[in-house]
Amino acid sequence: MEYKVALGPQHPALHEPISIRMTLDGEVIRDADLKLGYNHRGIEKLAESRTYIQNLYLTERICGICSFSHQTCYTQGVEKLMELVPAKRGLYIRTLVCELERVHSHLLWLGVAGQEAGFESFFMYTWRDREVVMDILDWISGNRVHYSMNTFGGVRRDIDDLQKKKILDSLGLLQSRTEYYLNLAASEPTFVGRLAGVGKLSKEKAISLCAVGPTLRASGVPMDVRKDDPYAVYDEVPFEVCTADSCDVLGRAVVRVKELIQSYRIIEFLLKNLPEGPFKVKAPRKVKENEVYSRYEAPRGENVHYIKSNGSDKPERLKVRAPTLANYAATIAMLKNGFIADIPLIFAAIDPCICCAERLVQLDDARRGESQILTFSQLRAMANERYKNVNFKKKDIAWPF
Amino acid sequence: MAILKPILYILVYPGLIFLMIYSTFCEWYDRKLYARLQNRIGPLHTGRSGILQPIADIIKLFAKEDIVPEQADKGMFTALPIFALAIVCTAALYLPVWHYTEVPSFISFPGDLIIVVYLLSLPTLIFFLAGWHSTNYFSAIGGTRVLTMLFGYEIPLLLALLSPAVLADSWRLLEIARFFQGKPLLMLVNIIGFFIALIALQAKLERVPFDIPHAETEIIGGQFTEYSGKKLAFFRLLGDIEMVVGAGLISAVFLGGFPGGLLPGLAWFIIKTLFVISLLAAMRAALSRIRIDQMIHFSWRWLAPLAVLQLFIVIIIKGMVS
Amino acid sequence: MSIKIAPFIPEMLRSLFKKPATVKYPFEKTPVPPGFRGNVVFDPPKCIGCMICVNDCPAEAIDIIRVSETEKKFKMILHNDRCIHCAQCVDSCPTKTYHMDSEFELAVLNRHQLKIEYKKD
Repeated sequence: MEYKVALGPQHPALHEPISIRMTLDGEVIRDADLKLGYNHRGIEKLAESRTYIQNLYLTERICGICSFSHQTCYTQGVEKLMELVPAKRGLYIRTLVCELERVHSHLLWLGVAGQEAGFESFFMYTWRDREVVMDILDWISGNRVHYSMNTFGGVRRDIDDLQKKKILDSLGLLQSRTEYYLNLAASEPTFVGRLAGVGKLSKEKAISLCAVGPTLRASGVPMDVRKDDPYAVYDEVPFEVCTADSCDVLGRAVVRVKELIQSYRIIEFLLKNLPEGPFKVKAPRKVKENEVYSRYEAPRGENVHYIKSNGSDKPERLKVRAPTLANYAATIAMLKNGFIADIPLIFAAIDPCICCAERLVQLDDARRGESQILTFSQLRAMANERYKNVNFKKKDIAWPF
Repeated sequence: MAILKPILYILVYPGLIFLMIYSTFCEWYDRKLYARLQNRIGPLHTGRSGILQPIADIIKLFAKEDIVPEQADKGMFTALPIFALAIVCTAALYLPVWHYTEVPSFISFPGDLIIVVYLLSLPTLIFFLAGWHSTNYFSAIGGTRVLTMLFGYEIPLLLALLSPAVLADSWRLLEIARFFQGKPLLMLVNIIGFFIALIALQAKLERVPFDIPHAETEIIGGQFTEYSGKKLAFFRLLGDIEMVVGAGLISAVFLGGFPGGLLPGLAWFIIKTLFVISLLAAMRAALSRIRIDQMIHFSWRWLAPLAVLQLFIVIIIKGMVS
Repeated sequence: MSIKIAPFIPEMLRSLFKKPATVKYPFEKTPVPPGFRGNVVFDPPKCIGCMICVNDCPAEAIDIIRVSETEKKFKMILHNDRCIHCAQCVDSCPTKTYHMDSEFELAVLNRHQLKIEYKKD
């Protein structure tokens, strides 16, 4: 007997509202469909009426966990539009904060994976150690989230020797804790039993469905924007791209922990080789007409910003493609023929940041070839009309009506 | 006047009032220990060191709005939590806490071990009915998971509880406890059974790693999704009292009961049940939730054969001792 | 990595004897680091009225008003309910009129208490 059930928009497993419409057969999922749009804020439209400097802070607030990735992607794009070469020391500090954000995001993900699987103690311990990174970021930038370190031409603040020493001391502690978590997660039988074999995505399917980030790298595909198309100072820093071969949730966890260890090495290299000199250069206010496509490796995958300028001090168009949006098609493929008990883990394994991915899509009517714009009051009237005609007292009424 | 004494036993000690106060104390102890194992504090501000927190939770639930789904059967929906609470409180009366159970009476008689196990398995059926009557797909899944789990843990629990009874030659809880008080070394024979009974009790109480039926991150609340207000308060209180009764049952059968009369008996009861609850809290903190099919595999591949092995060991030792 | 039984137990038993990691806020507070971005503070004598801060503020939280017809004296109204504490005004100002202090407990019950006026008396 097949039932149609909706997971969300409100559900304890989801951190942000999204609706997964599933067709269930007992405990097995036969079909799944995603409905987005609960978190749309109109950021792309807002960006058109603000100057480039004001947009620095708007793009930062697209997401809380990967805030620096959006700001850096935007800053890099605008610097290319301005044909501005940023200061070298500024680039090093920018890369340092990028890697610190990757560390904090992956530690957060480990805790979330533990909580979705029911392993609450693991969640508490990883988040306790994440506080070390949050305090470092607080020292460097003045805030724990939304660091606002970027400006056109470099960064806004410098790092002095006391802060450098503090970061290097904390790295040793973080390294030992990360190795402990790797050992723990791989040898705890109840946890491994939940993660192994769940959410399989073969290599061919991952490439054809355009997955990005650790979801792709856990299927054995070594694609990473930091190596393929280096930005900031990644062409000078030695590091490896981490992959795993098991194509399941356990592989994704292993990839993220390996990336943590790589990040510690990158941070140490950056701090020891920080060049002297100014940390920012002066940037113009008006940008001449051009367009640019800027890529960045966020903790969740490849983040893409497209910016078009028109000669004034406000952008003509800003388009953001967040990594989670690229992973949705792969998620639906992974959910089919899985168990209900695995839904939170499969969904958490792509590291969903749903607020990043809420963008505008314009649909044109295929028969008439025209597009339609509906105002909010029209949408409300449509919804009220539809539900007025449903008879709730009928005997075997089932959702959707 | 002779009827006043049993009424006092049922209402005050070891009946309703003592059970409710002691079970909220045990819930506080469990939450504090769980928090300390995770390097955090736990309840802190309500009462001294948070001891009134479980009572505050229940009072808060009583004050909330009580919603019954439109298509649910109102009578059954309301009656189920009350029945479950009554059943578990009745099971608590059979624990051999006090001297008044010396003479076989309506409270202590040969065979009351079976009665307690039977009464403790009835709430599982009530959880299934609660999930079914909620007319919600997630609650129905929770209800079916509860029954599926029952097929896994009930047989090892029964076999594990049987072994000390076979060794002590009686089905009466008081006599089993007294036998092990007399020969404490024979408690070590039942050590495998003790651990099997602990794991099966954790599954009966639906705590991690076995909180599959009301898994919060998967099916919202399982069989408890549609319950709110006073009915949910009853279900929470039920969980606490079931923990005390289960811990009391295990300590009466495996750890030698509660000798000594009124006050020493009470002290032994508190010490032994807190010991069992500490082990349950450690199990809850150290493991993650497992899937329902993994749970059935685990109980039929490991728990049930180990329980049968325990029974063999007991039969051999009994032959050697007597 | 082989599978062990309950490998988390030793660490957890050690935690029983360590101080808990929780900070008992608001009875104990951890100090904020130097360079923390709290409230915006304006120094009226230094302002020259260039209005760069008004144009650059992402939240339109700053109003600069001329107080005298003859001299270049200005007062500033800060809408602290709109401010996002980004410190762009600190960076944009050519005469270093702004700095940030270390206040973070800014909750009030009335929105109009968050409109702060900085003027020279």
